Amino acid sequence: MSIMEYNGGSVIAMVGKDCVAIASDLRLGNQALGISSNFQKIFPVTDRIYVGLPGLATDVTTLRERFRYRVNMYTIKEEREIEPETFAHLVSSTLYEHRFGPYFIEPVMAGLSKTPSGGLKPFIAATDLIGCLNFAKDFVVAGTASSKLYGVAEGLWEPGLEPEDLFETISQTILNAVDRDAYSGWGCIVHVITKDKVVSRTLKGRMD
Amino acid sequence: MEAISRAGTVLGVLAKDGVVLAAEKKVTGKLLDLSGAKEGGYGGSGEKIYLLNSNIIGGVAGITSDANSLVNYARSAAQRHLLTYNEDIPVELLAQRLCDMKQGYTQYGGLRPFGVSLLYAGYDPHYQFQLYHSDPSGNYSGWKATCIGANNGTAQSLLKQEYKDDLEVKDAIGLVLRTMSKTMDSTTLGSEKLEFAVLTLDPTTKEPKAKIYRPAEIDALLESEGLAKKDEDTAKRSA
Amino acid sequence: MENLFAITGKGYVIVAADTTSARSIVKMKVDEDKIKVLSPHLLMAYSGEPGDTIQFSEYVERNIRLFQIRNTYPLGPSAAASWIRRSLAESLRSRKPYAVNLLLGGYDTNKHEPHLFWVDYLGTMTEVPFAAHGYGSYFVLSLLDRYHNPEASLEEGLATLKRCIAEVTKRVVVSPGQYKVKVVDKDGAREIEI
Repeated sequence: MSIMEYNGGSVIAMVGKDCVAIASDLRLGNQALGISSNFQKIFPVTDRIYVGLPGLATDVTTLRERFRYRVNMYTIKEEREIEPETFAHLVSSTLYEHRFGPYFIEPVMAGLSKTPSGGLKPFIAATDLIGCLNFAKDFVVAGTASSKLYGVAEGLWEPGLEPEDLFETISQTILNAVDRDAYSGWGCIVHVITKDKVVSRTLKGRMD
Repeated sequence: MEAISRAGTVLGVLAKDGVVLAAEKKVTGKLLDLSGAKEGGYGGSGEKIYLLNSNIIGGVAGITSDANSLVNYARSAAQRHLLTYNEDIPVELLAQRLCDMKQGYTQYGGLRPFGVSLLYAGYDPHYQFQLYHSDPSGNYSGWKATCIGANNGTAQSLLKQEYKDDLEVKDAIGLVLRTMSKTMDSTTLGSEKLEFAVLTLDPTTKEPKAKIYRPAEIDALLESEGLAKKDEDTAKRSA
Repeated sequence: MENLFAITGKGYVIVAADTTSARSIVKMKVDEDKIKVLSPHLLMAYSGEPGDTIQFSEYVERNIRLFQIRNTYPLGPSAAASWIRRSLAESLRSRKPYAVNLLLGGYDTNKHEPHLFWVDYLGTMTEVPFAAHGYGSYFVLSLLDRYHNPEASLEEGLATLKRCIAEVTKRVVVSPGQYKVKVVDKDGAREIEI
């Protein structure tokens, strides 16, 4: 038994045309026993950044609280909202501080970053449990269903998806991937981040 | 204490659906770079009124450098509370946190106390909207309307005359601005001499919403309240 | 084996815990109270390593009380639960972690709604409509999936709880005989005989 599989759960993030999407399942389990079907693993960081924290559930809560603390201190002292790239490095350094006794979480981030010309550019990234950053141009996955998510996303994703098409793609990807994973599932939540709003939808899934 | 009685006035009024803070700025002049206040940040020019937490705004009077360090401490204390209890810090508790520290400097030799008085305007589910005042000795108390800084005696008596229970935010805004215009040394109000903030509940989310006004918004507000400074050119032309 | 159950209903939370205290195969005590009343509107049921349970629950009880004395009002259910969870999460990465599982049932007197939190010894916490710890959970959770009703009256809630206890008594090999039941609602926490 691996600690990373103790509670189960998966997260995926995808890039679209001037938008990004991030989705997770809603299960919290104790190995094979399901405890909750409404355990959120994705949290808003700013209006334009979301972070997903699949892994050991105690660390999901702890890290969520720590990230919120560090981001709030950043916002209040800098008097501006944090940029996705900066947040990614904040995540990375928080995790690497615990290099020899890590938090058992593999964070996934999605957001829109400001470009020098004043536009917005999609941004996604993921790290391993000790904070090694992986910036991707297409999609990033993590959690107990990560191997399945890779497979389905590889087949469904294409460049330049509009927000509604991206929603459909990420929803189909996560629903079908978690159906093949015993430790993920029990419903999903999808957030699509565009320049003027974030659309969050809860998806019904198989309850087995 | 001396520094506080000379510092710019800060005035707070508690209404039943919000709290209003206003402050007089002393550091002015046309060479002062205020470009930062026009956009970005939380609004305000960052001299007298600060956002301490999402549910609390603070107004300071006294030694500015001491005030900065207290504001910093308050913000950390509020975030520490959020970290341990996963809820916004209650207003009185934040006032207590600062007073515990301020009191410490009155007790031990070698260090001087913080030369700062603060007003805390905030909201929490326990006592809804609240207004507190704390002084350099570490005393604090709750108020319906109060004032710190220069001319606070005059302002207090004005507030005492005009304050009515069951005040609403829009009335409180008027009361604050009227009192402010009477107590300030200068005859006319304008955004270069005034900071202004209101804390209310967001009608949809029911979460506290702090709004620190930007210079342009202050001028617009003064205009609508009929307290705006007369433009000298228009005054001349009409004469 | 130890069992803790809890269910929410319309404006209340019922928390139940068995009353046996066992060492190996021997029952040492059959009238142990494993549900602490932390504040007027907060209940905590605990199970786990004997010794740790007492030590940790008393630590929590005193700290929650201290907060109430210092601030005149008690911590709300979710603030209390977050603090307790943090204590367990910090203990997990210490030299000797507490092995204590908890169910926290409370009534939020500001928002007028019941809350139930499932917390394990790792510091995992989630808010749920019904919860269980111990071997009984394997039977009770599926039973409650079928019979739980968030709008049920207290009588109906207690009837559902009785079905749960009956099922565990019937099907689990080493099942405890007696349960203590406490309820928290707008009128505060109290014990109920079943």
